[in-house]
Order: sequence, then C-alpha cells, then structure tokens
Amino acid sequence: MSKEPGVYVDLTVDEGPSGWFTQKENRYAAAIMALVALGSVWALLQDTRWVYLLVYVWFGLAYGMFLQYGRFCMASAVRDLFAVGVPRMAVGIMIAVCLYSLVAATVQVSGFNAFHPHPLGWHIIIGGLIFGFGIIFTGGCATGSLYKAGEGNLGSVLVIISISFSQAIFVVLGGWFDKFAPASWTTSALDKGMPEELSVTQGWFDLFTAGYVWDLKGSTLAAMLGVSNPIVASYLINSLLVTILPAIVIVVLLYAFYYRKGHVRREKIEQPVLKDHIRGIWSMVTSSKNTAIAGIGLGAFAGLHVWVTGILRDHYGIFNFGEMLADMGHKAGLSIQDTVFDPGYWYITTQEAQWGAWVMETMGMDMRDNIFFGLDNGVPNPLINAPGFMSIGIILGAAVLALLRREFKIKVPSMETVVFALVGGLLMGIGARVAMGCNIGAYFATVSNGDPSGWLFLLGMVAGGYVGVKLFNLWISWRVSRSDDFAL
Amino acid sequence: MKLLVTLWRKWFKRSHEVTVNKGLHQVELPDGEIVQVTHSADCIGASCPRPQLVTMQMLDEMESGDILELVSDNSTTVETIPALAMVLYSDHLATLHTKTGWRIYIRKSD
Repeated sequence: MSKEPGVYVDLTVDEGPSGWFTQKENRYAAAIMALVALGSVWALLQDTRWVYLLVYVWFGLAYGMFLQYGRFCMASAVRDLFAVGVPRMAVGIMIAVCLYSLVAATVQVSGFNAFHPHPLGWHIIIGGLIFGFGIIFTGGCATGSLYKAGEGNLGSVLVIISISFSQAIFVVLGGWFDKFAPASWTTSALDKGMPEELSVTQGWFDLFTAGYVWDLKGSTLAAMLGVSNPIVASYLINSLLVTILPAIVIVVLLYAFYYRKGHVRREKIEQPVLKDHIRGIWSMVTSSKNTAIAGIGLGAFAGLHVWVTGILRDHYGIFNFGEMLADMGHKAGLSIQDTVFDPGYWYITTQEAQWGAWVMETMGMDMRDNIFFGLDNGVPNPLINAPGFMSIGIILGAAVLALLRREFKIKVPSMETVVFALVGGLLMGIGARVAMGCNIGAYFATVSNGDPSGWLFLLGMVAGGYVGVKLFNLWISWRVSRSDDFAL
Repeated sequence: MKLLVTLWRKWFKRSHEVTVNKGLHQVELPDGEIVQVTHSADCIGASCPRPQLVTMQMLDEMESGDILELVSDNSTTVETIPALAMVLYSDHLATLHTKTGWRIYIRKSD
C-alpha cells in the first residue's frame, strides 16, 4: 500500500509555441485585471480620495484569489465534517483565524484597528443556527457564493440575490411580525429617544436592535479583564487566549474524532504514542496544501486590510466613509448621521443587504424608516458602496484565478439547485441579520480581534449545519428511493 | 394546471443526476501504471456534497483493490476527495484536470 499522495496532472494547459496570450482564458483573465486597474486609475483621476474605496476593491480581489486557490468553502467546513467526515476546510479556517489574529494584534498595538466588538447575547447563537442551516442547502456561505459566482456558477449568483433581498426585507419588515417582539423590547426601544423618522417602535428588527441588542454589552476579552498594557492585551489575551488556544483545541478535537483512526491505521502504528499523534495532526493540517496556503494568505491579508483602512482613516481624519462621501457631495445614500456601512475589514452580508435595499428603494419603497439603514448603514448607490466593491472584487479575483487555472465554467443550476439557493439564501439572510454578520463578520473578524462572541456564532452555525446535513441526507435518500438507478 | 405540472416536472427532471457505469476500461495513470477501472461515476454538474456522498457510497460497495473513477467539475469536491480517500482507508491515485472537469482515480484498499 503506497503512502504517497496521488499525483495531480493538468491536461488543460497547452502552452504551444505561440505563447501565453494565444489562449482565450488567459486573455480574459488579463482583461479583467486591466479593467480593474484602468477603473482604479480613472477613479483616482476624478478624486484621489476614492483610494479609500479602491482599498476595498483590491483587498476583495486578493480575497477572491485566495478563496478560489484553496477552494475555501466555509460551508463545506461544516458539511464535509458531518456528511463525510473530512476535516480539510475546518482546519483551513483555524489556520486563517490564527494568522488573522496575530496580524490584527499587531495592528491593534500600532493603534490602527477599526474593529468594533459585537454585543454578546443569545441572538448570536440563534442567528448562527439559522445561517448554518441555510448554508448546507445553498452549498456555500455568503463569501463562498461570491467566489463560486466568480467561477461561473450561476446557482451561487442566485444565492447572492436571495441573501441581499431577504436581509433588506427582513430589516424593514413590520406590522404583523411585530407581535413576535416582546413588550419589554418596545419599552426599552422607546427609552432610547430615537428620532421620529426612524419609527423604532414599528418593525421587528428595529425593536430587536434598539430594545434588545443595544442593552447588551460586548467587548474584547482584554477589555473585559481590564488589561491596559497594549502588548499583553493584544497578543497574550486577544490573540492567544481568544483565538489561538481555542483554535488549537478545535484542531486537536478534529484530529481525535475524524482523523486519528485513519492515520493510525494508514501508518500501521501498533501502539500510538504522543509523537505519532503530533505527526498525525501535522499530516491532517497539511493534507490539503492549497487550503492551508489559502488560510495563511486570507488571514494575513484580512489583517493587513484592517491596517491599511486604519491608516487611511487617520490620514483623512475620518471615522466613516460617509463623511468623505458627504464632503464629495454624494449625500443621497447616507444615513441621518451622514454615515454609511464601512467596517474597515472583511465583511460580506451588510453590503449585500444594501444592494437589495437600493434596488427596492429605487422601485419606490421606503427603506430608511429603520435603524439598520436609516441610522447606521445608509442605502448608498452600489457605484459608491465601498464594501460592496469588496464583494465585487472577490467575484472578479476568483474569476481571474479560475480562468488562469482553467476552472472557470458557466454552470446552469438545476431546478432543485434553484429552489435550494433561494430558500437557503433567505435563511442565510435572516440568520446573518439576527447574528449581526455571517461567518466572516460575526465569526472570522470577531474571534481574531479578541471578541469571544464569534465562538458563539460558530457553535450555532455548527449546530445548524449538523441539523441541515441530517435533513439533506434524508432528502437525498428520499430521492434515491424514488428512482430506479443510482441517482444521487 | 396540468401544463404547469408537466413544466415543473420537466424542469425538475432537468436536475443534474449522477450516472454510474460499471463497464470496465483501462486507464494509463500519469506515473505510467495502467489500471483497470472497475467503477465509474459521472458527477458532471453535481455540486457539493453529492460527489463526495457518491464516492463514499461507491467505495463502500467496492472490493479491496477495485478502482473508482470519479468525474466531476466541482472544484471544491476535487480538493476534498484526496482527504476523503484518506479517511476511507483508500489510496488516491491521481487527479487529471481535463477540459470538461476532473477525473479522479481512487483504489480501495482493505
């Protein structure tokens, strides 16, 4: 029995005598890059301050490339684990959060970190549950759907559309749905003294935000413990205690439950000792090199992104992109505080909600009588939506790399995939809003900045994913039982 | 109404199904070894986690030494299969990237 891993051979690239540019995939990839570069130069010529928006675009491109390179599917982290027992992606994510947290700690020490901790409460687990359930059916999380759309998967485009509108609708939904909000939320929301035009007592999500979430506290662990030394707080507490130690525990658990048996049997070890297990963990971590490399790259770039945005904010003397937009005369999409959604780090779902809201507003609906859009995030035109461009950057970056690796292929979804994409996207949208972010905003960005609430989200997401996998398997066996042949 | 039902059925039936072929054929692997493929599954168009589930189910039915050929155009699957083969005590022999997707060869051991 050979222990050598299988070979990977690429039969699609035939360089030929006439060179790189003769192949149309390479030309398309170069064209996309040229378009982004030209667009960036054009924007800078209009006003150099657009550099703030372009940072999002270029980091988006980098994220897209790494995601495609490692086939970094966060949905499969949960799904492959429960459905087929493969910990590849779960390990990849742990690598990425560890790296991100180390870079974020450095950024924090240097004083340019724009991270805001999330309020800690039950809503994070519940939102994670709904979100985790949804991603099993869409076959990709919010980020995964973006890079898969870049690979030409039209089903993923539907997921993005569904998640955009479900969030926008969920946030403004009121009337009959308000009955699901406890009376205490209404009282508490009234106490906040919000401006009339937001009508905070109408709309479930407003009541939830003002009456529940605002009463919760959230902070990084270092802030909770009251540690003021920046190096101890950032590296030892926020990075080591909140991110790296839990990640190591998870990796060890993954090894113990999913990898150990196979490893011991494959290596023909009679009496495994600690050394064998450490070697086994290493073999698990490196079992997919692409995933590990993507994890390192994503972690490092996500940290750098926080840094670069922090420096730019410092340079222009702003706290939020909205101030800059107002200064440039683009006031239409701003909230009543002259702000727009501008996290300053990797984030996915809120800008998608803004896309949905912008379309609905253009069709004549009132999308501003709520806290989410009206007070905080605004409804900017997608052409000047900075985080929105990060999402577009992810799609384009993934498309470039997929073209270069000959993995770009237009895939038309089947009817079943369409239904799953729309329903799953709807659930993901609701889950992301209840938990105040997706697996990027509510998990990846929070834990790596020392905010333990992200682990709660992961817990919810994994539990939701587990239920989702069980239901998905039931559905598949039902379909198999109806057909004669082996049609999974 | 009947038309709607027929249309729905037609569309629904357009789902990408996995076809399994038990016809034997020989394949030359990149290292020069010629192997006899005993089971073949065409998962073109199917997305995660179906190809993985098919692989699991087929390896389960196979005898030791049998060779599975999995055809897929889902990149995430391709990345996962070598790790899956490890978990299932099988050998991942080769992954060939072709114009239409990938062909992955796995040998079942014990």
